[in-house]
Order: sequence, then C-alpha cells, then structure tokens
Amino acid sequence: MTTALQPLLLLLPALLLVAGVFLWPLLRYGWLSLQASSVLTGLVPVPNGGANWQRLLADGRFWQDAAQTLRFAGVSLALELLLGLALALLLHRPLPRRGLLRAAVLLPWALPTTVMALGWRWILNDPHGPLNRLIQGLGGNAYGFLSTPATTWLFTVLADVWKTTPFVALLLLAGLQAIPAELEEALVLEGAGPLQRLWRLTLPLLAPYLLLAALFRLAQALGVFDLIQVLTGGGPASSTESLGLYAYLNGMRFLDFGYSATVMLGMFVLVLLLTAAVLLLQHGWQGRRR
Amino acid sequence: MKRPPHLLLLLAALLWSLLPLLWQLITSLRTPEALVAPTPAAWLSGWTLANYRQVLLGDPPFWRYLLNSALVGAASTGLTLALAIPAAYGLQQQTLRLQRLLTLLLLAAAMFPYVLLFLALLELARLLGWGNQLLALAVPYAGLSLPLAVLLLRAALADLPPELEDAARLEGLNLWQRLRRVLLPLLAPAIASTAILVFLFSWNEYPIALTWISKAELLTLPTAMARIGGSSVYAVPYGAYAAATVLGSLPLLALVLLFQRQIVSGLTQGAVKG
Repeated sequence: MTTALQPLLLLLPALLLVAGVFLWPLLRYGWLSLQASSVLTGLVPVPNGGANWQRLLADGRFWQDAAQTLRFAGVSLALELLLGLALALLLHRPLPRRGLLRAAVLLPWALPTTVMALGWRWILNDPHGPLNRLIQGLGGNAYGFLSTPATTWLFTVLADVWKTTPFVALLLLAGLQAIPAELEEALVLEGAGPLQRLWRLTLPLLAPYLLLAALFRLAQALGVFDLIQVLTGGGPASSTESLGLYAYLNGMRFLDFGYSATVMLGMFVLVLLLTAAVLLLQHGWQGRRR
Repeated sequence: MKRPPHLLLLLAALLWSLLPLLWQLITSLRTPEALVAPTPAAWLSGWTLANYRQVLLGDPPFWRYLLNSALVGAASTGLTLALAIPAAYGLQQQTLRLQRLLTLLLLAAAMFPYVLLFLALLELARLLGWGNQLLALAVPYAGLSLPLAVLLLRAALADLPPELEDAARLEGLNLWQRLRRVLLPLLAPAIASTAILVFLFSWNEYPIALTWISKAELLTLPTAMARIGGSSVYAVPYGAYAAATVLGSLPLLALVLLFQRQIVSGLTQGAVKG
C-alpha cells in the first residue's frame, strides 16, 4: 500500500509548487480580467462584465505593441537560428582549447540581461559611446542611435541576438554531435559538396533540435521584458514597447490590475497561437519531406 | 587551404561575443575627462581605478548586491534540488502514459515566458507578507526552475540501468536508502548541471525581484543595475556604471569558466531528452 503511494508522494510537492507558480496566475488572471480593479475602485475588485476585454479589443496601444513584439520576436528568432547554426557548425570540429572557446561563446548568455542592457546603452551613447567614437574617428557625425525609432529597434534586436545566439548554438551543437560521422563520409564518397551535405543530411537530422530551439526562443522572445525596459524603456515614443512591458506598466504604473491581467492573458493567447503555428508548419514540412 | 577561413570566422565570432564586454572593461578604467574628451585622449593617459572605488564605497556598497544575489541563488538552488530529485524519481515510477503527459506539461512550463506571471505572484507575496524578504524569492524561483530541473534529472535517471535499483531492492534497501546510496552518487553530474542552471537563472531573474523588493539594501544584482542605470547618482559619463557592469559580470565569468561543461550538458540534455 505505502509502496504504491510513495512515488506519487515524492512527485507531489514539486507539482504543487509548479502549479502554484504557473497555473494559479493564469486562473487568477482569468478571474481578474472580469473585474475592475484599479485606483478608481481603490484596488478592490468589482465585476465589470467583459469591459476589460472590450477595451483590449479596441486598444490601439495593445495591438501596436502586439505587432511590435511579433516583429521583434520574428526577426530575432530568424537571426538567432541562422547565426546559431553557423556558430554550431563552426564549433563542431576538433578545435584547440575547446573548453575555453565554449566558455567565451557562452558568456553573453550567462550575464544578466539588465547588466548588458546598460552596457549597450553606453556603447550606443550619443555622442560619447564607443560606436559614435568610431564613427567620429572615421570622419562622420555622432548619431542618436537610441533616439530614432528605426535604429533603436535594430539595436534591441541586435542585443537580443548577441545574448541568446550562444544558447541556440549550443543546442544545435549537441544535435550535430549526435549525427554519426559515417553518414557524412558516405555522402562525401558519393561526391556531395558541403552545401548538399548540409541540405540533405545535416538539416533533416538537426530538425528536432531546430524545432526545440525555435519553440523555446519564440516563447521567450514574445515575452521580452528586461531588455526593453532597461535599454529603451519602450521608447522612443513607445516604438519598442513590448506586450510584456505594456502589461507591466498597466499593473505597476497605472495601477490597473484588472486590465493588466487582461493584457497578460491576451499575450498568453498570442504565445499559444504562434507556438501552435510553428508546430503545424513543422508538421507540414516533415510530411512533405517524407 | 580550409583552415584559415575557418579560424578567421571563429575569431570573428569571439570578437562579436567579447568586444562589448571588453568595452565595458576599458570604459570602467577611464577617467570621466578621458571619456568625454572631444578628441580621443592619448591612450597612455586617463586611466583610473576611481570608478571602482566609487561603486564599491557607495551606499549600499556594490558587494552587497552580489551577496544578495548569491544568497538568493544558493537558497533557490537548494530548494529546487530538494524538490526536484524526489520528483524526478517519483515521475520515473509512474505509468508510461502519465509520464508522457507530465513530461509534456513540464516542457511547456519550462518554455513559458514567465514575465506573464509576475502580477499574480506579486499578489501572493503581498498576501503572505513576502515583499522585501530576500530569501522568500527562492520560492517562486524554485517553482520556475522546477520544470527544467525535473526533466533534466529524469533524463539522467532514465539513462541508469534498471537492474541497479532492482539489485539494491533485493538487498533490502528501502526507498530512501536506494535514493541516497545508489542513485544520488550516480546522478551527481546531472545534479551539478541542474544546480548551476538554477543558480544562473535566479542570479539573473529580473521582473519578480523588481516587483517584490524595494529596499535598496535588499536588491539583487539585476534590479540594482537597472536602478543604477535609472538614477542620477551615477551620472553620465558612464565610468561608474561600467565598473558596476564589470563587477557584476566577474562572478558569472568565473562560473562559466569553471562550469562550462556542466552548463552545456545541462542545456542540451534537459531540453533534448525532455
């Protein structure tokens, strides 16, 4: 009797804590999104029909932030997969001082996002940052990288790519190392060039790893918060504001918990839909290859 | 013929990942005058340690944030392992169907963009009086780390030969003894990988620390850095700021150099086998 129960008892504390941290907030938001709970109500929840949801649907800032978050996530993800693959292929060879190399490549990933967001702010500083120093040294004029929407956006993507490419690369490197060397040699004997080998052998066998990296990075990039809050504060003129930051501002600055919860749920639905889309795309792609 | 371009590309990759950090280091060692001089100052002059002095003698001194982060990191890691090791073992004993379902749910949780959770967690913290309690952060951190930790440890457990435990059972060792004397030693590498990943996560976590902690002397490193960036105490030019960046990066540099093998195997094993 006790022996049958024991494994479940071992599992339970962890599952309860996980449910408390992940599931409870979602349930709570579901309830909170149907309440007015803001400074106007003295932060006391009062049911308000679907008013928060109606507001969400008509909220231009929400949809603008959704589009911005999507664009950020899509472009970052594409670059991270491409560069990560290149880096993984580069590291997948006998190299001197492999451990040291891996550590050097990993470092950006390990640093706190806020720390390096400040670092980037200095690098992009107008006019004293190193980048502007370089431009001036070459005879150009200092440029306000963080006061123009286009370049600000570009550098949020760049900072994200800088930080998370190592993660993708290492995941793909593990995939590369799982490919038997004989397969590659067989293709070489057939006279297949490097590109052909990449396309016919490496990429198909790497697909599960690519999918995993894509799903993981997509969810994280859609939730981008630390980087934007510290590097740009969502500016200039909320042109880099992400949904995560918008939800945060609604809760912590405008003190509107009901609407903040609604924005969080809206964001959650978006993450779910996109994850499903990636899974479907992958499914179709695999189906066609077979 | 093939080597030179390959090495060149590798060098470019290294530059790309290390150059921004190198600039922080250089900036942190320059005097304010050298940083804003209209023409690049002579390279031999304008070096100083004053920025580090300013940061280390600030109020609260910078090492306080490092200590706070280290404490929270250690507590989160301990709590996560204490829950994850039994859970991984318990998961391994369930029916295959339940195992598959739970693994999938844990994987989904591990990927979840957790910034979404901060508001409800903040409510809980207020309810429980956990605001401005440094070590209380270990509870949400453990909850957020558990999915990956359990997946990682279970993958390691699944790699062990099943006869091992059967033999121990025949010898009359009870569950606790089997876990402690037989399985734990064999799981040591996976436990090390898990521990370092959990520690890195809690060291770097931002939104929850930001909303739970407001007292300056209790801030963790990421929140302290964000606050430094937003305040005027450390005025432009950024010498002091850069010194803070360097000091904040050093412990992680040490961790990555020491544990890169564990980090890499943790990242890849946990994700791939889950």
